[in-house]
Amino acid sequence: MNQKKISIDITESFEEEITCEEIMEESTDLIEKVPANLNSYFKKVKEESEIPLETVNKTISERKKDSKSFAEKYRPKTLNEIMGQAEAIVKIKIFVANYPKKKKAMVLYGGPGTGKTTMAHAIAKAMDAEIFELNASDLRNKNKLQEVLKPAIEQKSLTKLNKIILVDEVDGICAVDRGGLSELLELISITTYPVIITANDIWKNNLSSLRQKAELVEVREINYNIIKDVLINILKKEKLSINDDVLTKIAVKANGDLRAALNDLQTASRLKDPSKFVPDERNRRTDIFNALKLVLKGKPNNDLLKVYDSVDMQIDEIFLWLEENISKEYSGLDLVRAYDLLSKADVFKGRIHKQQYWRFLVYENALLSYGISSAKKNSNCGFTSYQKPTRILKIWLSNQRNAKKKSIAQKYAKLVHVGYKRAMNEFPIIKQIIQSNPKIQQELKLEKDEIEYIVR
Amino acid sequence: MTSEIWTETFRPSTFKEMVGQEDIVNRVEALANSLNIPHLLFAGPAGTGKSTLALIVVKELFKNTWKDNYLELNASDERGINIVREKVKDFARTKSLGDVPFKVIFLDEADALTPEAQQALRRTMENYSTTCRFILSCNYSSKIIDPIQSRCAIFRFKLLENKAIGKVIDRIAKTKDLSISPGTYEILYEGCEGDCRRCINLLQATAAISPAITPELISTIISNAKPKDIKVVLEYALSGDFKNSREKLLDVMLKESISGQDTIKAIQKEIWNLPIEPEVKVKLTEKTGEVEFRIVEGSDPFIQLEALLASFVLAGMGK
Repeated sequence: MNQKKISIDITESFEEEITCEEIMEESTDLIEKVPANLNSYFKKVKEESEIPLETVNKTISERKKDSKSFAEKYRPKTLNEIMGQAEAIVKIKIFVANYPKKKKAMVLYGGPGTGKTTMAHAIAKAMDAEIFELNASDLRNKNKLQEVLKPAIEQKSLTKLNKIILVDEVDGICAVDRGGLSELLELISITTYPVIITANDIWKNNLSSLRQKAELVEVREINYNIIKDVLINILKKEKLSINDDVLTKIAVKANGDLRAALNDLQTASRLKDPSKFVPDERNRRTDIFNALKLVLKGKPNNDLLKVYDSVDMQIDEIFLWLEENISKEYSGLDLVRAYDLLSKADVFKGRIHKQQYWRFLVYENALLSYGISSAKKNSNCGFTSYQKPTRILKIWLSNQRNAKKKSIAQKYAKLVHVGYKRAMNEFPIIKQIIQSNPKIQQELKLEKDEIEYIVR
Repeated sequence: MTSEIWTETFRPSTFKEMVGQEDIVNRVEALANSLNIPHLLFAGPAGTGKSTLALIVVKELFKNTWKDNYLELNASDERGINIVREKVKDFARTKSLGDVPFKVIFLDEADALTPEAQQALRRTMENYSTTCRFILSCNYSSKIIDPIQSRCAIFRFKLLENKAIGKVIDRIAKTKDLSISPGTYEILYEGCEGDCRRCINLLQATAAISPAITPELISTIISNAKPKDIKVVLEYALSGDFKNSREKLLDVMLKESISGQDTIKAIQKEIWNLPIEPEVKVKLTEKTGEVEFRIVEGSDPFIQLEALLASFVLAGMGK
């Protein structure tokens, strides 16, 4: 509310709109601090802003001349220009070459700034295809997709022979986009053009059916050496120079996110003395790493109770991170105690879900932070590289593998009047029986791939 | 069409062919002959003839039209209230075809139904009693709510005895030209624990390798089918190697998609074979029970099992 009022006020008192916005950006901090005495505050803003007006104008004109951010300006146009993603690019080429023999859609997944969208555009260019893009800024509910995406899928390109459909940031399809995902799946099944989908997190529950329908290609985080090379290259082109230490710092801090590195580089290049540049923490993963470090290395103290507050992650996910990494720090009795506490926190988690009584969260949180920290007698100094949780991924992969087993067990269960669960339990023996006799395979009406699973 | 799966080929189709459970068979046969059965509740362990007897009852009642008048559902697959509200009611509300004035629903593993579903079933059994009879089967009748038990005639099936299983083996051996070496009966009986279905499956899996059935051959089949990897998991833990133990556990559970509950069952059985002091075995068993309780209550099976492995590490250190 306050901010709105001020912005109107300022627009009236100054002519140039862009300048005002610029000032607004700078002054929002102040607004938060002094919302009470507004009148005197206005004066202050006016007085202050009159002085730097010219300098602000100057930077704006400079920026207009060179308005693109580094990330946009140096976004690779062709596949060859994309650095450090050879493996993913090969997979994309294979997908396009095989289309539509295997799957009709491909999901490029990986952290931000690793080049997913760039790759999609580059492959379109390589194929001389028109690209039709739909991203998270568009409303993507069922109707909208039918309205916009369906015609795009059905109509031929006017100017080019080929067409690629790009659905960017699919994990951004949210509750508002009702029916969006299922419509997307529907469209994938009828499309005659390759569909490329990008996502940061493909392991979300609601994306499970998409995972089945699409080829999954991981776009890895970019190695910091490669990031640094890219930075050096750009500096050359921009005729700038920044000292090597700062570049290394930027490249490492970026955590595989090239776009972030470019933005930091741009910021640093604007400073009078770039060597003083310290990139701010950007990645949420740094936060979970820090939290893990505090809990697993540090001594228990009351601040730990709040350690997960700053982590932008659901407590359930933090759980998985702890589970994965405790054994990297603790051993022996410490490890036993830590897992005991973890399992107790898990009991509270179960109780929350069962009773819908969220106060139990306090206990879960305390056990996970202070509790696990207190489980160790000696702390392990030195650097530990924490690992992303792998369990969910492994479970999903094995479900994929075991899908055949399940469908066979279902068919068997129905034929011989037993429950499906019992058929699963006795599957090792059942498998041998089915293996030995092709007539049984017929009798169960097994599909070709199911027979392959059995015989293998 | 005769089936190639022996549990089907050799499934008795008349009361006379039933093996074991003589007392129950006689009583049920008498009911079926009167062309009017009450709701029936068959309780007893797996592979003792509950489904078979239900099928025989239906075939005797309806003769050629049995398939039109019979619905078989397995409650362990779908255990919620919807199975009752949708499938059961839809089938129950229409009239039967033929001479018998009712149809039959066979609800297998009814003890897996949630209490709510059982409550829903209770009214359905009464409301449609003119057009529909239920045969329920379960392992433990105590898991069936009292109101349903009171509406049924209850029959308690016992584990098949050595002799009865022997009869079944002989019959199959004769038809399929198998030679049975001495000692085979005992090892089959031990391996199947009185479960006739399992016994026949073991026999067929063995016969697929050779028609000469020997105790050794059966032992290999049995041990091949057992998830022996659980032992490896525990051995790693006892030797203090938690990391490998944890990896292996995830591997075992996922490779064959074994549930948390089945895994803990295997662990509990394995404890008695571990090279540890008797009192440690008892302690670990207690801990295992606690973990199983937590899993049943809805905790994350993997995290709970990891904590259990941690206790095994402790036991391995002699603490």
